[in-house]
Amino acid sequence: MNAQVEIQLIAAVVAIACAIPGVFLVLRKMALLSDAISHSILPGIVIGFFITEDLNSPLLIILAAVTGVITVMLVEAIQKTGLVKEDTAIGLVFPALFSIGVILIAKNANDVHLDVDAVLLGELAFAPFDRLIIDGVDMGPKSLWLMGGILSITLGLLLAFFKELKVSTFDAGLSAALGFSPVVLHYGLMTVSSVTVVGAFEAVGAVLVVALMIAPAATAYLLTSNLKKMLVLSIVFGVFSAIGGYWMAHLLDASIAGSMTTVLGFVFLMVYLFAPNKGLIAVVYRQKQQRTEVSLLTFLIHLNNHKEENERHVKHLNEHINWQKVRSKTVLELAEKNNLIQIDNQIVKLTTKGKEFTDLALEYIISNRDEKIEHMKDDFFLFRG
Amino acid sequence: MELSEYFLQLFSDYTLRTITLGTAILGAICGMLGSFAVLRKQSLLGDAISHAALPGIAIAFLITGTKDTNLLLLGALVSGLIGTFWIRGMITKTHLKSDTALGLVLSLFFGFGMLLLTFIQKQPNANQAGLDKYLFGQAATLVESDVILMAIVTGICLIILLLFWKEFKILLFDADYTKTLGFNTKFIDILITFFIVLAIVLGLQTVGVVLMSAMLLAPAAAARQWTNKLSTMIVLAAIFGAFSGVFGTAISASQNNLSTGPVIVLVAGVFVLISFLFSPGRGIIFKQIRVFQNRRDLELQKTLQFMFDIAKTHEDISHPHAIKILNNFQGYTKATLKELEEKNWVAVNGQKWSLTEAGYQAAVNLYTNNQ
Repeated sequence: MNAQVEIQLIAAVVAIACAIPGVFLVLRKMALLSDAISHSILPGIVIGFFITEDLNSPLLIILAAVTGVITVMLVEAIQKTGLVKEDTAIGLVFPALFSIGVILIAKNANDVHLDVDAVLLGELAFAPFDRLIIDGVDMGPKSLWLMGGILSITLGLLLAFFKELKVSTFDAGLSAALGFSPVVLHYGLMTVSSVTVVGAFEAVGAVLVVALMIAPAATAYLLTSNLKKMLVLSIVFGVFSAIGGYWMAHLLDASIAGSMTTVLGFVFLMVYLFAPNKGLIAVVYRQKQQRTEVSLLTFLIHLNNHKEENERHVKHLNEHINWQKVRSKTVLELAEKNNLIQIDNQIVKLTTKGKEFTDLALEYIISNRDEKIEHMKDDFFLFRG
Repeated sequence: MELSEYFLQLFSDYTLRTITLGTAILGAICGMLGSFAVLRKQSLLGDAISHAALPGIAIAFLITGTKDTNLLLLGALVSGLIGTFWIRGMITKTHLKSDTALGLVLSLFFGFGMLLLTFIQKQPNANQAGLDKYLFGQAATLVESDVILMAIVTGICLIILLLFWKEFKILLFDADYTKTLGFNTKFIDILITFFIVLAIVLGLQTVGVVLMSAMLLAPAAAARQWTNKLSTMIVLAAIFGAFSGVFGTAISASQNNLSTGPVIVLVAGVFVLISFLFSPGRGIIFKQIRVFQNRRDLELQKTLQFMFDIAKTHEDISHPHAIKILNNFQGYTKATLKELEEKNWVAVNGQKWSLTEAGYQAAVNLYTNNQ
């Protein structure tokens, strides 16, 4: 294997390993804990490095993972005192731990080869140079083995505890009632996340680990609400961004991790804008449509309630229902186009169809029973829920 | 350099004076605006925005080609604001929750910023060195003009704060009510968010992207423990922030190889720790003491009830009884008996106690009316 292929392979493995816990973090509204962990493991890494002098040592990973879990526990302990809210607790814990890490590095900078920049940003391009050699046989890059191992464990845990994870994510109470402790699952997830962050930080850095965890999951979440599909989609997005990012970095001669994040950001932006149901454009269009339809309904009900001519004059309606000119015009046109009203000599009148429609809608509003409007759902956003 | 030496030199040494003044002002403005961030439950906004500012710095450099701090900070401000509004857009228009939105903007913007920074570093332009000081901040690079800028911004911020005090306050505690009163909540909201972003951007140069959020949060979280009043909290937070700045600078200046940002953050963390433990109203220690006191009061009353139950059966309520009969009873200790005596509820005579008239009345009040 040449170095190019190896880098892409490592990037893809890191992306998959991050995407899986990321999905659960996003669903459990704990996305920012990954940010906190990625920063606060620094002292663990530094202390581990002082002891072993090797960035790939398992002790380092264990220490860092322990620091990650300690972070979560500290945040929860502070929260439990009731003195500050959860987000403030997170915001207090990780900068403090990170500061300790930075100071530890700075104080020992002369005799230790560990750079804060390296921890924060990582450098994937160097990964193929650090090889695992057993009995003189080159087994490939160390970080590929490391991340491959973490990924296999994550996958194994995911398959073994999928049901439990699913239930506890969507209904912690039910999960506890069924006998699997949400606390154990919570800390299990946190441990997996910490280990993944530690394994990945060397390749992509502490901040970009967060991007690899949150962005694919968030992108997938905009496209589906099915957990399995969400997992698959986030893996696809992760891998796509990893490989796309590599080639972009190649082209621009810039940081691989930075490019990967940028591709992730681009993919997210596209989905955010254009996702069929939950994308920005779809949402804004739907909201606008609903607003018009609510106005239309109000308008029809108003007509239904008033027989006197002066209440039904086109000009008068403007001020009476207090709409801006443009909107009342849209509503009038929409109603007329659908044969719901008739305009004679500037006086608006409900047609038979309009009357029927209004009665049905009124009945729905009063009874709030869905079957009343079943056949209207095709024509109206408003009733589609 | 020793700490005392530092304070001696503070008034004569130009560099030290500038840096100390800079970090003090920064701490003050961060504490002031951080109070709003904390109370609005936007604590981690600072983290997201400080990261989101990075591409702005890089793009400002790419466009202008200069390292003029003010221009770079302007870029940071623009990209920080874009990040803020995107976060808000995501929360209101999609089902993504605020933590996901914050994390996304934080990491995606920062990653893009890193891409630009590494891209800039490869450019054949000798000017680019030192852009990465914004990552961790370098208080030592503060010059007088930076401090003046900070002071001006702090001044403007203070004036705005005083002008819109009523609006800010009411928006904080009841946004819906503010709307019904006819205030333009959107404008007030944008105004306060703008100033929070501005404070974050100002701090980038000194404490850097990564630690900026703590600068915003820690003084406010500490100040919150000492008071329930907004104005007091803001003043306290500003003072805590300023002191963190000064002490942090002093400690880092008096040691070798200590970057200022992390030290300032840790000093602020100490303020938080002290406040969490020792604040009289909410502090953990006093809370615990109050728990013990309540428990003792309860036991005292249990003793009184027991005595009352005995006294009820006698015609003379002050009929003496042996202290021994209290022994089996949980609420009884020598101390509680003494306290009861001090309250003049019981009279102790040798090995006997008897309920006084006052004690009987107190017990009647406590145990009969509510039954």
